[in-house]
Amino acid sequence: MRARVVVTGLGVVSPIGIGVSEFWKAALSGQSGISAITSFDPFSMDGYRSKVAGQVRNFAVERFLDSPHGERVDRYAQFALVAAKEALADSGLQMAKENPHRVGVIVGAGMGGMVMGEREITQLYQQQKPHRVHPNFIPVITLNSASGIIAMAYGAKGPNLTISTACSSSAHALGQALHCIREGRADVVITVGADASITPLVFAGFCSLRALSSKFNDQPEKASRPFDRMRDGFVMGEGAGTLILESAAHAKKRKARVYAEIAGYAATSEAYHMVIPREDGVDVAHTMRLALADAGMTPAQVDYINAHATSTIIGDAVEAKAIRQLFKSRADKIAISATKSLIGHTLGAAGAIGGIASVLALHTGQIHPTANYDDPDPACALAGLSRSAQERRMKVALLNAFGFGSNNAAVVLKQATK
Amino acid sequence: MATDPTISLKIRTALGEYLKRDPDTILITQHLRDDLGLDSMAVIELLYRIEEAFDLQIPDQDLVGLTNVGHVVNYVEKRLGKTASPASTKKPAKLSKPKGKKKS
Repeated sequence: MRARVVVTGLGVVSPIGIGVSEFWKAALSGQSGISAITSFDPFSMDGYRSKVAGQVRNFAVERFLDSPHGERVDRYAQFALVAAKEALADSGLQMAKENPHRVGVIVGAGMGGMVMGEREITQLYQQQKPHRVHPNFIPVITLNSASGIIAMAYGAKGPNLTISTACSSSAHALGQALHCIREGRADVVITVGADASITPLVFAGFCSLRALSSKFNDQPEKASRPFDRMRDGFVMGEGAGTLILESAAHAKKRKARVYAEIAGYAATSEAYHMVIPREDGVDVAHTMRLALADAGMTPAQVDYINAHATSTIIGDAVEAKAIRQLFKSRADKIAISATKSLIGHTLGAAGAIGGIASVLALHTGQIHPTANYDDPDPACALAGLSRSAQERRMKVALLNAFGFGSNNAAVVLKQATK
Repeated sequence: MATDPTISLKIRTALGEYLKRDPDTILITQHLRDDLGLDSMAVIELLYRIEEAFDLQIPDQDLVGLTNVGHVVNYVEKRLGKTASPASTKKPAKLSKPKGKKKS
C-alpha cells in the first residue's frame, strides 16, 4: 500500500504578510498586497505599461535568519529560506532526531536569481569588463540555489530537486514531493515555491508580452481581479511558500499536528502554445480529472477549488470553462477563490502559496475572498466565487496551476482525518 | 617583510568586511584558509573585491601563491609597482589543497 502524505508545517513570505498568521488574517479580510512600483532604481517607471505589483515590503533577510545562509543567495532564495524556517518550526520537526538522508527538499521556482542576474548582465554589457562579473553570479542564478541552500541550512540529505515549469512550478513541487514520499524515497520533504523577479528586465518582458494589467495603475489594489469583467491581465507578485510534507506514519510516530492530506496530483501538457492555453479547456479539465483519480476520488467529492485564476482575459475564462466541463451542474456549488486577487501572481511561488490557502481552508473551514470580483464576467461566472470570506464545511480541495510552456498541474488535498 | 600600510589596511578592511570582523584583528601572517576559515570560493570572492579596490586583474596563475594575508599584500604592492608580469617573477608557493571542490 502506498504511503499517505500529510502536511504538518506551513511558512509563507507574501505581499500581505511574512508569516502564516499575518498572511491568513490579511487574506481572510481581503487585504490587497498590490501597490505601485515607484521606481526601478535608478530609473523611473515612466516607460512601463504596467506600474503595479505585489511586492514584499521591508524584507531584510537578517531580520528573519540567525544563520549566514541568506547572505550569498538571491532574494527568491532568501524568501525560500525564511518560509522554510517558519514551516519547519511550525511542524515541530527536529532535524537532530531525523535520519537526514530521509529528509528531502523540493523547490518550485520559475525565474530564480534575477536580482543579481540582471545587475551582472547589465554591468557586463555596459562596461564590457568580463573580469568584473561577480564570482557568485553562477551559483546565485543557478535555479537550484534555493533547494541547495535549504538543504545546507538544515542538513537535509535526501532528494534535492528544483522544478521549473513557470507559473505551475510549485504545484508540481507539491506533486513531486507527494510521489517521493509515496514511493518511500523520503519520510519528509520540505516543499517550497519561491520567486522574486519584480526586476526591471523581467517586468519589462511581461509588459512586452502584454500579459500584465495596465488599466489600474492609479488604483493598484484594483488591478488583480480574476473572473471579473474588467480584468485586463495579471499583476506580478513575489514571495515564497513552504509546506512540510511527510508520510502519515512518520507524522503519527512523532505525534505531529496534521493540517491536511495531499491525496492526489496530475501533470499534463497541452502541447499547444508557449503562452496561450487551449480555449476549449479540455486539457485543464483532463488534468483536474486525473488528479482526482490519483486521489481515488470523483468530481462529486470536491468542495473547494483554489483556482489558478491569474486575472488574464483568456486564462480565467478557460479555467472556468474547464470547471464547468468537469463538475457540470455541481460547478456552482463548489466554493472557489483566487489567491492572486490579493497578492498578484507570484509565479513559481503561486502553487505553494495557493496550496497553503487550500490547506488553511480545509483546516479552518474558512475561504479567503476573491478581491475585486465586482462584476462577474458571464464568460467565467461561477456561483462559488465571492468578494467576501466564506465559511464552509469542506473535506476536499483542488489546487490548480498552469504555466507557460503549455503545462498544467492539479493537486488534491483532503481534510485531515481526526 | 615591510608592507605598505595603506595597501595592507585596504586588504585587511576588505577581509574584515567579508568576514564581518574588525580589520585590526586580522594579522598579516594569518593563513587565509587555516586561520581565517576562507574556503576556496571565499578566497575567490576576496580576490574579486581586491581587484575592484585596486583596479587590478589577477590572472589565474597568480592565485596559487596567495595563501596568507601577507602574500596578498605583497602581491598587490608588486602589481601596483613597476613589475610587468608578476606571474613570471616569483615561483608560486606550493598550493595547499582547497577545502571544498566546486562542482560544475
